[in-house]
Amino acid sequence: MNRRNFLHVAAASPVLARAASNPMPAYRTVTPYKAAASPGFPGPYKGQVTRVYGESSIDPESEKVDSDVVRQMISQGMRGMTGDKDERDAWARFFGPHDIIGLKVNCSGAPNVMTNPEIVADIVQNLISIDVPPKQIYIYEKFRSQMDTVRYEQYVPDGVHVVAAEESRGAIVGYDPDVYVETDFFGEEDTRSFMLRIVSETLTKIINLPNMKEHQAAGVTGCLKNISYGHFSNVDRSHRWEKTNTDTYIGTLAAVEPIPSKTVLNIMDGLRGVWHAGPFSREKKFRFFPKQMMFGTDPIAMDRLLIDVIEDKRKAEGAPSVFDRSKEHIRSGREVDPSHNRFIREPGHIKYATRFDLGVYDIGQIKIKRIDV
Amino acid sequence: MTLLLLFLLTPGIFWDGAPATADVLKQAGITKIAVPAAMESEWKGQSGISVEAVDISSRTLLKPPAVQMRMNQASASRSPWIDGNGWQFIREPRGGYYYNVEGPSAALAAAEAFVFGGDAPVQPDTLVQTDAGGLPALGEMLAFLGRIEPSDLPPRVNIGYIDDGSAESGELLNLMVRKNLLFKLVTTPDPSLDLNVRFGSDEFLKGDTSDPSRLAQSVRARLTDDKRLFRVYGSDTVVGRLMGDEKRARLYLLNYSSGRRSGFGIRVRVLGRYKNHTGAVSGLDNPGIREYVVTDNATEFTIPEMGILAVIDLSGGR
Repeated sequence: MNRRNFLHVAAASPVLARAASNPMPAYRTVTPYKAAASPGFPGPYKGQVTRVYGESSIDPESEKVDSDVVRQMISQGMRGMTGDKDERDAWARFFGPHDIIGLKVNCSGAPNVMTNPEIVADIVQNLISIDVPPKQIYIYEKFRSQMDTVRYEQYVPDGVHVVAAEESRGAIVGYDPDVYVETDFFGEEDTRSFMLRIVSETLTKIINLPNMKEHQAAGVTGCLKNISYGHFSNVDRSHRWEKTNTDTYIGTLAAVEPIPSKTVLNIMDGLRGVWHAGPFSREKKFRFFPKQMMFGTDPIAMDRLLIDVIEDKRKAEGAPSVFDRSKEHIRSGREVDPSHNRFIREPGHIKYATRFDLGVYDIGQIKIKRIDV
Repeated sequence: MTLLLLFLLTPGIFWDGAPATADVLKQAGITKIAVPAAMESEWKGQSGISVEAVDISSRTLLKPPAVQMRMNQASASRSPWIDGNGWQFIREPRGGYYYNVEGPSAALAAAEAFVFGGDAPVQPDTLVQTDAGGLPALGEMLAFLGRIEPSDLPPRVNIGYIDDGSAESGELLNLMVRKNLLFKLVTTPDPSLDLNVRFGSDEFLKGDTSDPSRLAQSVRARLTDDKRLFRVYGSDTVVGRLMGDEKRARLYLLNYSSGRRSGFGIRVRVLGRYKNHTGAVSGLDNPGIREYVVTDNATEFTIPEMGILAVIDLSGGR
């Protein structure tokens, strides 16, 4: 495999000049991987989102998930997206028995909000139904400490792997030293973000399984955030004081091969969500229950719809828009007041990512198929 | 109980306890001590322990080396602050120093003194003082340091620094050490170096010496990261010192967060193309260096788990 180094932006500006004038950071992307002939992003369903609502999918009081309803939602979502009558045919469009498949869950809000294990369990069963051996299925996240609060292994058959890149915080062996993005945001010493080794070396296909959450830095966190910041080391350095560089860093990371080639399916878990102080979920009052799931291959189209989900909820709660950039709404400290936020949010990261041809942002160009279970 | 370690030139320990406590020292593998002059006669004749009298009152007391984790305002990121003393050894290598460090941090102090003084042409006279709690870790570190092959390689630097001797200039030295900007002190600009910095000069620092952190970033920006002699990825709290030249080099890597984090590793980039490597990491039987690659102009490798100190020897350079 030929090594490929390329510059997104010529990196010549001094550190201080960048800090002063605040231009776009200079990114140097290093990866030996080339785009697949038929990459996962934006995939066969570019500009399309299948949206499945399940009114009884979760009980807002107990937060108990109904596995039967989830099963129906996934079945109808996959069939609705592909047009197949048999759900096995729908899954077989994306995966085969020889694939090594990673399920990129999101546990940053665990144990309160995360990719629901009931959803993960049903996806695993669907993969097994098309003859993917359990040992070729990996459920993975960055941090073991977060995954351990969910216990995915209790929901899936023996043989399915549940792995974390960082078994202990700061462990580097879970990252690939040959695949990284180098940039200096604020004069930090450690200027590289390395890709998860499992993504570059082990998996042949990835299913992206984000939640529906507001994010204090990125505005919202959905498909793009989960496969960008969720796939690289040393990313929280992009925030400092009220400034974040998520507007450009999320798309830049999401576009690093082999992520766009291997991520062939996105299923957004919106059974429960977070409308403020995300991606964490320390305050129950900021959780809500969209009771829906989105299916697609176009992460930008799905994230564009996510913006509206979060905005509608915040509007209903009287909270400022995630696009608000008012200084008076910036405040440090624990996030208990929905009028305030630590950072100037950057929901523009979704539109920015269109420059990497990852999908469709224009809401008028997005075809939505609604299904009610 | 107080313990003093006479480090490097005359390794030994000062122990202000009674000679009956000699077994504690022996259990830590320590066979030489330094004691206050008033206690020298009591210790003379103890089996297995050699004694030397020292006076620490004239020495410079150093900060206990450590990392202070500080939460940036309005940020989820944590910015580490290193309390280090390397700059003092470089600024005044003929000085007499001592640490007063409790517990396991004594090992870090000994490693710091070794990194910044052990290979120096003129070695600082340094003592490490600790309590009984620090003795086991200190003994292990001394044993590790004792196994390191002596080296006569000179420090490798590419910045010349003209120091005015002020406290502000000292803080800039401190920050350059912490940021792994490798310098030597010069009295006039050295044209063989990539960058020369005169503290407070208009040319580089615009006369504003009030913010050493900004000045250190200015030095870094002027040098450019591409010219930095080595880089550390995966940590903001590993400080290094590079010795040697393009043919042969030794890299010391000092992990200031060793007391806080375990099981973490680093990726290292050294400017120069070295075919061969050997290494040692304190606390580990095998450093496990992996993914060693030589690129167009640099050598990169991963140390999968950092102890307090790693010593990497590179050779076969071109």
